Amino acid sequence: MSLQLAKLIPWLPALSAVVCGICCIKRPLRKLAAPVCVLSILAGFVITLGIQSHVTGHHEGGAVGQTVTLFEWVHAGSFHVDMAYYLDPLTIVMLFVVTGIGTLVALYASGYMAGDRGYARFFAYVSIFIFAMTTLVLADNLVLLYLGWEGVGLCSYLLIGFYYQKPSAVAAAKKAFIVNRIGDLGFALGIFLTFHHFGQVTYTDIFNAAALYHAHGVEVPWTVQLIPYLLMLGAFGKSAQIPLYVWLPDAMEGPTPVSALIHAATMVTAGVYMIARLTPLFMLSPGALELVAIVGCVTALFAGTIALCQYDIKRIYAYSTISQLGYMFLGVGVLCTSGAVFHLFTHAFFKALLFLTAGSVMHALAGQLDLRKMSGLRRKMPVTCWLMFAGCLALAGFPFTAGFYSKDEILAAVMEKGLTEHSALYITLAVLGLFTAFLTAFYTFRLWFRVFMGPEKYEMGEEHHSDEDSHTTQDAAHGSTSGGIEVAHHHEPHEMPLFPMNLPLVVLAAGALLAGVLGHRWMAHMIGSSSAAVVSQVAEHGEAATETTHHLTLLPGVDLHTSMMIISSVIAVLGIVLAAYYHWLNRPAADRLASQFKGLVTLLANKYYIDEINDAVIVKPLNLLGQVFFAVDQLIVMGLVQFVGFVPRALGLSIQPTQQGKLQGYGLGMAAGAAIIALLVVMAMH
Amino acid sequence: MIETYSIPVLLLAPLLGGFGVAMLPKGNPGAVRTAAAFWSLLTFVVSVIAAVSFDWSKPADFQLTGMMPWISEFGLSFTYGVDSISLWLVLLSTFLTPIVIFGSFKALSPELQGRTKEFFVWLLLLESAMVGTFVARDILFFYLCFEFTLVPLYFLIGVFGSYQRLYAAKVFFLYTFTGSMLTFAALLYVAQVHAASHGGVWSFAIDDLYTAARSLDAPTQGWILAALLAGFAVKVPLFPVHTWLPLAHTEAPTAGSVILAGVLLKLGTYGLLRLAIPMCPEAVVSFAPTIGVLAVIGILYTALICWVQKDIKKLIAYSSVSHLGFCVLGMFALNLIGGGGSVMYMINHGLSTGALFLCVGMIYERFHTREMAQMSGLGRAMPVWATFMVFFCLASVGLPGLNGFVGEFLTLLGAFVSQDLLGWHYALAAGVGMIFGAIYILYMVGRVVMGPTKIPSLDHDAGDEHGHHTVKDLTAREIAVLVPLAIGCLVLGLYPKPILSTLDEPIRLLIDPARGALAARHGDETPRLTLVTDEHVASAPSFATGDVQ
Repeated sequence: MSLQLAKLIPWLPALSAVVCGICCIKRPLRKLAAPVCVLSILAGFVITLGIQSHVTGHHEGGAVGQTVTLFEWVHAGSFHVDMAYYLDPLTIVMLFVVTGIGTLVALYASGYMAGDRGYARFFAYVSIFIFAMTTLVLADNLVLLYLGWEGVGLCSYLLIGFYYQKPSAVAAAKKAFIVNRIGDLGFALGIFLTFHHFGQVTYTDIFNAAALYHAHGVEVPWTVQLIPYLLMLGAFGKSAQIPLYVWLPDAMEGPTPVSALIHAATMVTAGVYMIARLTPLFMLSPGALELVAIVGCVTALFAGTIALCQYDIKRIYAYSTISQLGYMFLGVGVLCTSGAVFHLFTHAFFKALLFLTAGSVMHALAGQLDLRKMSGLRRKMPVTCWLMFAGCLALAGFPFTAGFYSKDEILAAVMEKGLTEHSALYITLAVLGLFTAFLTAFYTFRLWFRVFMGPEKYEMGEEHHSDEDSHTTQDAAHGSTSGGIEVAHHHEPHEMPLFPMNLPLVVLAAGALLAGVLGHRWMAHMIGSSSAAVVSQVAEHGEAATETTHHLTLLPGVDLHTSMMIISSVIAVLGIVLAAYYHWLNRPAADRLASQFKGLVTLLANKYYIDEINDAVIVKPLNLLGQVFFAVDQLIVMGLVQFVGFVPRALGLSIQPTQQGKLQGYGLGMAAGAAIIALLVVMAMH
Repeated sequence: MIETYSIPVLLLAPLLGGFGVAMLPKGNPGAVRTAAAFWSLLTFVVSVIAAVSFDWSKPADFQLTGMMPWISEFGLSFTYGVDSISLWLVLLSTFLTPIVIFGSFKALSPELQGRTKEFFVWLLLLESAMVGTFVARDILFFYLCFEFTLVPLYFLIGVFGSYQRLYAAKVFFLYTFTGSMLTFAALLYVAQVHAASHGGVWSFAIDDLYTAARSLDAPTQGWILAALLAGFAVKVPLFPVHTWLPLAHTEAPTAGSVILAGVLLKLGTYGLLRLAIPMCPEAVVSFAPTIGVLAVIGILYTALICWVQKDIKKLIAYSSVSHLGFCVLGMFALNLIGGGGSVMYMINHGLSTGALFLCVGMIYERFHTREMAQMSGLGRAMPVWATFMVFFCLASVGLPGLNGFVGEFLTLLGAFVSQDLLGWHYALAAGVGMIFGAIYILYMVGRVVMGPTKIPSLDHDAGDEHGHHTVKDLTAREIAVLVPLAIGCLVLGLYPKPILSTLDEPIRLLIDPARGALAARHGDETPRLTLVTDEHVASAPSFATGDVQ
């Protein structure tokens, strides 16, 4: 297959968006929306498979991507960007994630969303999302990346606010967009500075420039070192890292497939992708990388602690997503790009699986998400139960599941960096990472044991189908759906149909269990031959570094990597066992524990009060400032109006006649005034 | 043939149309509307013909030129001609006018039905004046048209506006009129300088005045610039002389608002670009940082004001002030990137803000209120309207892929890279405006389009004879009015090249004197950060070595 086919990958979903848009208008066609959307994403997946060999085949000696140009996009003065796509193995990996997970989630959603009045609209949004996300991944320059970046932000906004009659959904959507905009300002400034320094914004030119710095070994000017710091802000916003993470937990207001696709598997990983993609640029600024690592690790720990005390299933997974993204940032921060992208890859499988199974639970319990109101559902929903179990194992990093391999790769890299460089900082980060792994195992299985184990009891939620349309009085009055609501309140939790809902989950579960074993060599090979490869590092430290690594160890008799694997396995199992004790076998013990640390639990349950602080420190004062400015403006206008009301009246008495024929009067006045001023000016000159 | 006559025809068609409509018998609003629509469409066709006959390979040359002598002894004549900048703005005017006319078919309230004729006549005359301003090649013609735009708009606001219409019309008229008197005085003074240096032979040709004004010393140029700013900055409007605009917008009928935001504000920015910057290069270089600061203050100050508005139309009116701040900022970066972005911004703002005013007008025609507190969740009741509204809002906040982004990005980038004049801190501060922009637009969308459905009560509405609240979504006519604008927003966002590629050369001509003055001022001392400036960027690979050395 020709590389040119890559052009179709974003534009087929764009076409699908148009078709779905037509389906929105012509209601009889609405059933068509889902197949069109699924097929357009699937086509992207097939094309990616087809062009894979073209891209990976060319890596011998120096990883250079290939560019496919569509057309010239913006050109003003010396600034020039094309609508062009850059293809290298990293692009391919990301395309696999986006189109692969995208297809599965869209398929699931075709069942999940059935019966929603916004059915066609939903798939139109998803199509636009895939367009924007593939553009983001394929972009060959920073500005096109920015287009995709803001595009996915828009879809996130539209989909979080999908149930737009619900005030909480509207607020969450707004918050997501605005918080992302704050990060994007940093991103935009980063682009400006890049252009200012390098005169170009295409990846190839940036990589060449960075390579020159590396080759000459000269000092990098601080303004160039500043670029990664600015771009990083954008990444923190999109990937929900401290301090810009606050939007992601609220984003769970959207339909669950959206949470799985956008807010877990694909969009939120864009920040990690950006840094991995721009590895050569980030390597010019060691301080920036260090900051990325620190922020990633702190976010991982911070979000992990919040997840411990939440009761809303989707929110627990949201915080766990933030936490896992933190690992990925930690990975790119220590230049373990292959580990970071690998974790991105495996995380996409198991987190999508977890969200979708959570969606199934929600669907079955009519929108119920509160952990305290469900228990022992394993007999009602056996398939969902074991699918989620697979996802939980992977998230907890249980030995030999996907999450185990990828997380371990990152943590081993951090520990290795700490030991080789004798850096207390990185050793601390590695230890914190391990501690977070323990928290992860605990809160993951806390959820699973609570939902599926123990005595069977449940309370149905408020809604007909999961979190579908908040039924307004209007709808109920129409009578068409009110019967459905009645039924919903009495019927029992049920298993989801195999097609189209459980089948995609089985595929995801297989990925969550096996992607680690099967994928880690492939991933190392792919990333090693992409722009994210850390070439010069190896060149600099060379053999010596590899030598020392072999002597490094934490446990006697095994090398560093293996010892990290053993430690993290023990930690994961410990977390699971503790969770089983407190949340399955002896639940009262958990309550006693909670009451002993009442203050801490309240703090965590309220998410450290960050939202409240933001509101009081930023939002309120700004709004107040707006009020003040408006008052000032009003005052000026009022004064003016008074003045204007007075002047004509005064003038009117003297030049009454000319004001009569409105138009002529003003015309005459204008001419006379002009003439007088002109006369004055000319006289002044002589 | 086409070369000689297309512009006179372009000027005369709406004028004749106006008179033709005025001649129609009274009491037949239908015929009046059709005739007005016909003439405006005809004008649009003529402008397209003009655009086709324009030689796009020489975008900086004035083409389709001609002259109508007036009083030749005094050098008075109407000279006209267009370069690409003028032509694009002419196209914007002739494109928006038919849209506005179609959009106003049902806009007049019953008590004003009797004055339908007057309404459309003013719109057509306004079009003629707008086109005239953009094609004028001598300042008398320019000034005549520039001022004449006030008259139709005065009546559109004063007669067809809402409650405070008379106040608003007066404020609008006197505010802008006072400012432009100073502008006129400055232009006359420059003409006098020219006459003095040419042995008493008067000329009002813009090119002659460029030469005359540039020969003056810096302080005098400063006074001229100040006087030009008095007229143009009020028109733009630049902070702090923007206060007339929200009032005028809020009180104007939809058609007036659309034309006001879409085209008339651009008369100000066009005047700055066409007259102020080339005439007083020395002064512009000295003033640019100050003007940049005012632009940035305007962006942030009005954006925050938008956030606390209760009236949708006022919110959009204030947002215009904020947006035009970007336009001015890019222009006074005095480089090709900022300049190109600035002209793009003029066109894009005309499309997206014009469309937003139309959308708000459609709401007002239905509910007779624009208070956000009165309505909520219209997305369910009017899904088609909601789709358009959200789309244009996104274009307005500069979502990449839609038109607003191109201008916004380029103006900010232009400001950022002009280290010798503005600099990164301008881009940073104005960039915060992007965040505020998202805040106030999404706040409005969240209130009006989303949320639980709440339809304003229509009790006082005479048309509601059935007694129950049925809300009609957009009619075919209304959709037809919005679709061209939506297509424009999308196409210019994804493929702005047809416009952008024609802007470099004319902008270079306009800003070159100022750049020259700037270079002279800096002497040989190259600013430390400017490794790559606009002029010598062509050889990309050389930069890094230069940097490394």
